[in-house]
Amino acid sequence: MDHVPTIKVLKSFYSSIQDLGRYGFRALGVPVCGAMDKLSAAYANALVGNDVNEALIEVIGGNFVFEVLRDSLIALTGADSKVTIDNIPVKVWSSVLVRKGSVVVVEPPKRGFITYIAVDGGLDAEVVMGSKSTYVRGGFGGFEGRLLKPGDVLSTKDVRLKSVFKLAGSYEVPNEVVERLPDSNTVLELKATEGMHVDLLGEDFIELLKNVYVVDVSSDRMGYRLKGEPIKKASKLGRLISIPTNRGYVQIPPDGQPIVLMSDAQTTGGYAVALVLTQRSVDVLAQAQPGQRVRFKVVSVEEAEDENAKYLELLGNPPLIFKEGEESYY
Amino acid sequence: MTIYGKPKVRFVGGDAIHVDFCDEISLDCNRRVHAVYYAILNDLREGRVLDIVEAVPAYSSLTIFYDPRKVRHDSLTSYVSKVFEYVITQPLNELVKPRVFKIPVAYGGEFGPDFNDVLKITKLTAEEFIRIHTSKEYTCYMLGFTPGFLYLGDVDDRIAVPRLETPRTKIPAGSVGIAGKQTGLYGVESPGGWRLVGRTPIKTFDYRRTPPIPIKPGDLIRFYAIDCDEYLKLKDKFVDEVQ
Repeated sequence: MDHVPTIKVLKSFYSSIQDLGRYGFRALGVPVCGAMDKLSAAYANALVGNDVNEALIEVIGGNFVFEVLRDSLIALTGADSKVTIDNIPVKVWSSVLVRKGSVVVVEPPKRGFITYIAVDGGLDAEVVMGSKSTYVRGGFGGFEGRLLKPGDVLSTKDVRLKSVFKLAGSYEVPNEVVERLPDSNTVLELKATEGMHVDLLGEDFIELLKNVYVVDVSSDRMGYRLKGEPIKKASKLGRLISIPTNRGYVQIPPDGQPIVLMSDAQTTGGYAVALVLTQRSVDVLAQAQPGQRVRFKVVSVEEAEDENAKYLELLGNPPLIFKEGEESYY
Repeated sequence: MTIYGKPKVRFVGGDAIHVDFCDEISLDCNRRVHAVYYAILNDLREGRVLDIVEAVPAYSSLTIFYDPRKVRHDSLTSYVSKVFEYVITQPLNELVKPRVFKIPVAYGGEFGPDFNDVLKITKLTAEEFIRIHTSKEYTCYMLGFTPGFLYLGDVDDRIAVPRLETPRTKIPAGSVGIAGKQTGLYGVESPGGWRLVGRTPIKTFDYRRTPPIPIKPGDLIRFYAIDCDEYLKLKDKFVDEVQ
């Protein structure tokens, strides 16, 4: 199949190409990477008829502008941002047919933090160890192993099937998926099991569960830093023997301020792991803007397994709701 | 030091089981981790165990990430116990077949910005330090934190120096450092706090290759000293090409 230039980046603050992650190489120190809010990414792809693991654009904090270089079916999901196509507002969590030459603007998010942009056919990107995800620190994957910048031209498979274009605007995403976005007026509750170092934290573990933390502005794709009452015990633990780590691990470094590891998490680490978030909770936390208040809620391993199983089912096959008779293209 | 008679298993996150084999960094314990790791890889390859997303070994522990739609922590735990029971009845060298890699290192100068400090701390001459650092085969305890970083050990007590108090933000790929009883090699450019004594001109990690690094947990590394000319001659050759 031919590949055609499809998207030209005109403005970008912090965006990269991602898919659902790079698995199987963590024993060699290679992080998983992939979308921060995987469910939103899977839905963006589903809305344009792509495989859920197809490469798409992840935009953190909005401020992304691009020109469409061929008639395309495009879906935006994730954060609640004002999105315009040639100055006309369009809905997020829906697909839209965009004509060649149109300019799409993603403004800074009102609620949520990360936007996914999927295009029919899926983005071409460097496949590294089975994944198209960008790992910026390692300089590989995605688009030249780096963040996108103005002038970059992204290609796609040239699908342009009428049957695919018919998808435009005719499907909706279930409310419970859209409404996962954190509300800045309330404290976001994150479900987690106890981590492997709970015993080392003693009484301070109870404190960790009582405290309300604030997502710090220094957060990134590797970890979200939380600020709040420090966990005092952490300063006495020193450096532990490094163990394998994962997205969702809540580490307590010596300064006592928790760090939640995210998609670019290092593969091993030597800080105490107090809690481990469920995968759904990591997705939701990913959408928290700096300043969001969060607290942890401990669940049993069985409850976490049930929730993860449900989440993975959804991720693998995101159900869409058919919507009849709506104006379906821009 | 304690190597647990039975490994300690923890269930975290609803998709991982973490298995601790001991509570210290030791070669004996680490070999056991690797034996179990390779036994699991064999089982995966031959289809005797399914539904494991990934197994990741570290110094004294191993984590198995799994898909809870297909398997739950209790059945995986009994699987791991069985593997462990099997492994302890086997000679360890049957399960882990280490390859030996020779890695050239240019010591000191711009290649090892902490070399002079390390000589001061250890009260050794450059020649003595290099002789000691190159005198033995180091075991690759694990790879991790960044792509292809090798945790190697144990170094002779005479050259064991603590890590830097303030880590560097940028360390070139190929840098060789020391932190306590461990010596390490940075596979890619990254931040880090090990005291840098030298650098290898060869590439040990190349993301374009599969696998990106031929060195596996449990393999053996021997460093040898080279001068500037040899450094330039060997620059950017892949580790496999100089064995």
